[in-house]
Amino acid sequence: MSWFSRKHTDEIAKERLKLILVQDRSLLSPSVLNELKEDILKVINRYVEVGESDISIDIRRETHKTILEAVVPVKGVKKS
Amino acid sequence: MGRAIVITSGKGGVGKTTVTANVGASLAKLGKKVVVADMDIGLRNLDVVMGLENRVVYNIMDIVEGRCKISQALVREKHLSNLFLLPASQMHTKEDVDIEAINEIISIIKENFDYVLLDSPAGIENGFRSAAAPATEALIVVTPDVSSVRDADRVVGLLENNGIEGISLIINRYDPNLVAKRKTLDKDDIIDVLGLDLIGVIPEDKEIIDSENRGEILSIVGKSLSVQSFDNIAKRIEGEDVPFLEIPKEKRGFLDLFRRK
Ligand SMILES: Nc1ncnc2c1ncn2[C@@H]1O[C@H](COP(=O)(O)OP(=O)(O)OP(=O)(O)O)[C@@H](O)[C@H]1O
Ligand SMILES: [Mg+2]
Repeated sequence: MSWFSRKHTDEIAKERLKLILVQDRSLLSPSVLNELKEDILKVINRYVEVGESDISIDIRRETHKTILEAVVPVKGVKKS
Repeated sequence: MGRAIVITSGKGGVGKTTVTANVGASLAKLGKKVVVADMDIGLRNLDVVMGLENRVVYNIMDIVEGRCKISQALVREKHLSNLFLLPASQMHTKEDVDIEAINEIISIIKENFDYVLLDSPAGIENGFRSAAAPATEALIVVTPDVSSVRDADRVVGLLENNGIEGISLIINRYDPNLVAKRKTLDKDDIIDVLGLDLIGVIPEDKEIIDSENRGEILSIVGKSLSVQSFDNIAKRIEGEDVPFLEIPKEKRGFLDLFRRK
């Protein structure tokens, strides 16, 4: 392991946990999660321009409800 | 009417029994009448951790099966006259447990005590379910590692589906030296990921193992920092607004300056 490029363990652990919990909480398998992402992208792409895989999905728990949050950075407005 | 609180984690060995005994004792030190119930049927440990193994005569299954009254099964702690153990059966398995009967027993105990702390076994099967069923609140114990936090999240989901309202987080075996070196999850990361309210952080403390081996409850006989953590958790359960302890890093000696971190 290199001294310079090494990511801190706490960062790696947190990233891993977040990904694991998205799947555990929604009971979505990785492949279903990918389909969901693609579908969301397709729909949003009809109205605004988005990048290919520029989407992150987070499933959070708040008291008594679970929230699915998709963050999609927009590149620009579609010209019709 | 007392409060029934389940202490659970999903993952094994993270400190449920330790928390049950010590927080139970801290609540008793505040003058509350407390029963700590060992719900780890078939693998009982709470009697040993409290040093009461020689005083156990009856257990919870004896009550269920009509061999004794509730009051006969309760074992009084050695130092505190308002702290009692309800022992688990060692002869039964978790599949033998009748959840309805356990609910009934705990609700009768609640009428005469301020708190019933239910020490849950690891896992999410029948043993966990019968420990959680009588509870209306939960303390989730995690250690700062990925698998413990993941399992805790699963348990929280199950508890919420069963209508348990007050779920609070205890982070156990917290080692500020490892956190400072960024080798383990920080407490804020854990709180953030789980989305629970923190009710206590317990430092890694060798005194805990020592007192368990002697059969004494540290929060009764000890003075180390973790005792303050247990006492503060008890106060927060009681609704007091206590500031969180700053858990200090171990002091480094002069020679450590030359050691690689
Ligand atoms: N804060 C701590 N510092 C040091 N040791 C600890 C701490 N908390 C717990 N331990 C030790 O970890 C071991 C496991 O703790 P404990 O039996 O309370 O876990 P548990 O969650 O009840 O386990 P199980 O899932 O088997 O019921 C014990 O030997 C205990 O002394
Ligand atoms: Mg235990």
